[in-house]
Amino acid sequence: MSILRNLAGGVRALFRRDGRNAEIQDELRSFVEASAAEKMRRGMSREDAERAARAEVGSAEMVREKVWAAGWESAADSLGQDIRYGVRTLSRSPGFCLVAVTTLALGIGANTAMFSLLDQIVLSLLPVKQPERLVKVTIAGNNYGDSYGADRISWPMFEDLRDRNQVFSGMFCSFMTTVTVGYGDRAAQTEAELVSGSYFPVLGVDAALGRTIAPDDDKIPDSQPVVVLSYNFWRNYFHADRTIVGRTIAINGYKMTVIGVAQPGYDGIELGNPAQMFIPIMMKTEMTPQSDGLKDRRRRLAWVKTFGRLKPGISAEQAQTSLQPLLHSILQMEAQQPDFRWFNNEDRRQFLRDRIQILPGSDNWLSDNMREPLWILIALTGAVLLLACANLANLMLARATARTREIAVRLAIGAARGRIVRQLMVETLLLSAAGALLGLALAFLADRVLLSMYLPANEAAQYVVSPIPDWRVLAFAFGALLVTSLAFGLMPALRGSRTEIAPSLQERSGSGSATAVPLRRLFVVVQVALSLLLLVGAGLFVRTLRNLRNLGPGFPTDHLIEFNLDPALSGYSFDQTKSFFERMTVDLRAMPGVSSVGLSTMPLLKGYSWQHAIVGEKSAGELKAEQPVLSMVSPDYFSTLGIPILEGREFTDQDRGPLKVAIINQSFAKRYLPAGDPIGRRFGLVTDTVLPDIVVIGVIPDTKYRDLRETPPPQADFPYFQDNQQRFVNVYVRTQGDPRQLLDQVQKRMSQFDPHVPIVGLETMDDRIGWSLKTERLIASLSAVFGGLAALLAVIGLYGVMAYVVTRRTREIGIRIALGAMRGSIVGLIMREVLILIGAGLAAGAVLDLLMSQWVRSQLFGLSPNDPATFAAAAACLALAAGVAGLAPALRASRVDPVTAIREE
Amino acid sequence: MAEQPGELVQGTLEMLVLKTLALEPMHGYGIALRIEQVSDGVFRVNPGSLLPALSRMERAGRIRGEWRATENNRRAKYYALTEQGRKALETDREQWGRQTAAISRILEAGSR
Repeated sequence: MSILRNLAGGVRALFRRDGRNAEIQDELRSFVEASAAEKMRRGMSREDAERAARAEVGSAEMVREKVWAAGWESAADSLGQDIRYGVRTLSRSPGFCLVAVTTLALGIGANTAMFSLLDQIVLSLLPVKQPERLVKVTIAGNNYGDSYGADRISWPMFEDLRDRNQVFSGMFCSFMTTVTVGYGDRAAQTEAELVSGSYFPVLGVDAALGRTIAPDDDKIPDSQPVVVLSYNFWRNYFHADRTIVGRTIAINGYKMTVIGVAQPGYDGIELGNPAQMFIPIMMKTEMTPQSDGLKDRRRRLAWVKTFGRLKPGISAEQAQTSLQPLLHSILQMEAQQPDFRWFNNEDRRQFLRDRIQILPGSDNWLSDNMREPLWILIALTGAVLLLACANLANLMLARATARTREIAVRLAIGAARGRIVRQLMVETLLLSAAGALLGLALAFLADRVLLSMYLPANEAAQYVVSPIPDWRVLAFAFGALLVTSLAFGLMPALRGSRTEIAPSLQERSGSGSATAVPLRRLFVVVQVALSLLLLVGAGLFVRTLRNLRNLGPGFPTDHLIEFNLDPALSGYSFDQTKSFFERMTVDLRAMPGVSSVGLSTMPLLKGYSWQHAIVGEKSAGELKAEQPVLSMVSPDYFSTLGIPILEGREFTDQDRGPLKVAIINQSFAKRYLPAGDPIGRRFGLVTDTVLPDIVVIGVIPDTKYRDLRETPPPQADFPYFQDNQQRFVNVYVRTQGDPRQLLDQVQKRMSQFDPHVPIVGLETMDDRIGWSLKTERLIASLSAVFGGLAALLAVIGLYGVMAYVVTRRTREIGIRIALGAMRGSIVGLIMREVLILIGAGLAAGAVLDLLMSQWVRSQLFGLSPNDPATFAAAAACLALAAGVAGLAPALRASRVDPVTAIREE
Repeated sequence: MAEQPGELVQGTLEMLVLKTLALEPMHGYGIALRIEQVSDGVFRVNPGSLLPALSRMERAGRIRGEWRATENNRRAKYYALTEQGRKALETDREQWGRQTAAISRILEAGSR
């Protein structure tokens, strides 16, 4: 109450400043009058009484000041004065302001843009209750079966961990899959998350409408045809229709009842890969036709992602320690099962060494992929901001020097030094605030551009990442503002306030305190060093991108179109799917401009893999990461991709009988069928048996499978129609002309062929590869921009200092010339200083570079972080640019006219 | 205690003003005069500290100021105690009582 009154009174006083002053004066006058009246009552004469009363009061002005100063508003008022004065002073040098604000806006903007992405992609946690207590539970070590990725475990393993652990207050698992949704006459393919009954309660995610999936929905397989919609999907696809709860929609052709809508903002467990709906995992068989991990009790298929909520007081390390013996006993039980009976002692020993791994629950592929690049980019932008600060500090020092006289005058007429520092800091803060505001706007734009660079347009729209800054980003920008202001403003301000009054007033204008110069030289050295670091980094990243692009996947990617589709999700049975693909292949091949068509079950260069333990003529167990990659392909697949058959033959339509055949690559042959011709030899997949029942009929060269960075893994391909488990296919179309021109026609042809089967991901292979290099491209282009910016700032800084040095030494140079110095030797005099600065900067930069370069090793490809050519090129570019910048003041020095120079003084 | 007559003990001015105003509303000079008279001239309050104190107390809501005509028909700002000021006076008084009692105990203990 009283605080409010105080505030209101202060604000009133500020706005009615004159009124308040008049009131104080009135009161003072009445005080004097009353005092005089009292004295007259005691017998003084009027004149004496009035004089005595005035004497008692003293300086009326001082009393007024004191009353005024009693409220907080006086402090605000003098700050207001400082700000007004600052604005006036700054507006007298618009050029300086423009440079300073632009530099700051670029620096702060770049940092804020990067931080905004980092904040949303890497640092963000799931929007659930206590997300930091949520962990992902994985098993590291050898795998003896089939897996959907390193972070998956089998369903029976999940059940055992869930029922027997002591460390989690709850556990749940999930599996993302693509389903076809039909409602009314519409159909669409979307992402669904299959979840255990404990999923919603353990996460603490509520229903916005209806109810969520409960533990009761998790009892009997195939018995729970219910679905919970994500809030976004409900809004976008069902137009926020509240009556949807209780209705049925068709998912993969099954009637499912909508029981609720999840709370707004929750889009599934994978940030960056939003789930549109949640379905009980008991419906696995219906949701993923022909693949039945749920009822598979053999513990071979690792497919569910498993999460746990740590009990209060239990740390992730404690959980890991406690779960390890449990895992060991489960593994011992598994090793006794009949399907592991082929284990030899070594296999058993390796198998029992598998370890529990506890990972942060909010990690996901996007954050895993972006974590390092974003930290690198943040470091780069931080360095740029530092450079910008150094330049500004230089400018401010120059300004403070030029203003020595003004400050001396103000000190001489009684200004407190503290007030002068405050005044100079206010100017600095004004500049930074303008820079930060502009920087925020820049960051907003930059994040839009970056997101569109990083993600294809149709995907970018799906991502939860938004370029609109939240309070954390604003706080970051504000922090950057304060830090930069302190960095570039405080030192010049303190130095300015230390001005000696008498000498400064005597000096002529233009010459300032000499002490600022060594400091400014130091700034230049730091700038050259930092920008060298950034330029080397840019060179490394750009060459990495070029290396990757030049290398390619091992087959020609021009003239290739790809897309994928899954007729099983539109109600096709396996037999129908077979004939669907046969007819589709014939149909596409008949299109003008198409030379061949190939199908495969695994998409290339998209980061996916299907891996399996192999029994060759060697042992069976391997790390998941080292298991060979597999695929099932159609007869024309290799010729469509342009991969030659080195030995043996390609698949034909006849390869669908009981005899299992495979085409392997050279690495596979070397690892599992060493020595001699592999054709006709056998290997097997580790399943219930370890029979080597697959005959090698062909050998292909090594090609890349997951991404361009990898060394081609061992690979085996099987004929598509031999197996009856597969459904989803990728279609590759080789064209005669420009593949881009055929995209629309392929789209049209496919929708004519069967309008009920949507095709997904239609694009050219070259575009696909472009996207697969998006992280590298992002780093390369941004580091090049930042490197250039840094070099520019350093060069400007060097020029500024040298120009200043030359101006200060004009008289000395004039005398030298008058005494007969050659113009050339004057240039040499100045250039020597320039070269010393550049040399010191490059040396410091080289040391920094050696210290820091290891840090980016994992982001490089095909060259070492200390690549000498890159370093030499960067150093040469920088030295040249800086040299030219230094030459200009040197030449000006050599043209000094001795007569004018000496007369000026 | 104040070494020179006329100077107030630090921090007591507000309490004395409140006490003075508890009797009746007064203007600034009236307050100064009353304090001087009641203290037999020991305390003299000058406007340089009184007026800022009044301004501060008015802002804090302990007193309320009002421009009125004086007995000799001039205008002056009269201050009156508010309810909040009355409470503040009580608290200040208790505190002051405790403090002086404590101080005299210390002084007496030292003199023996």
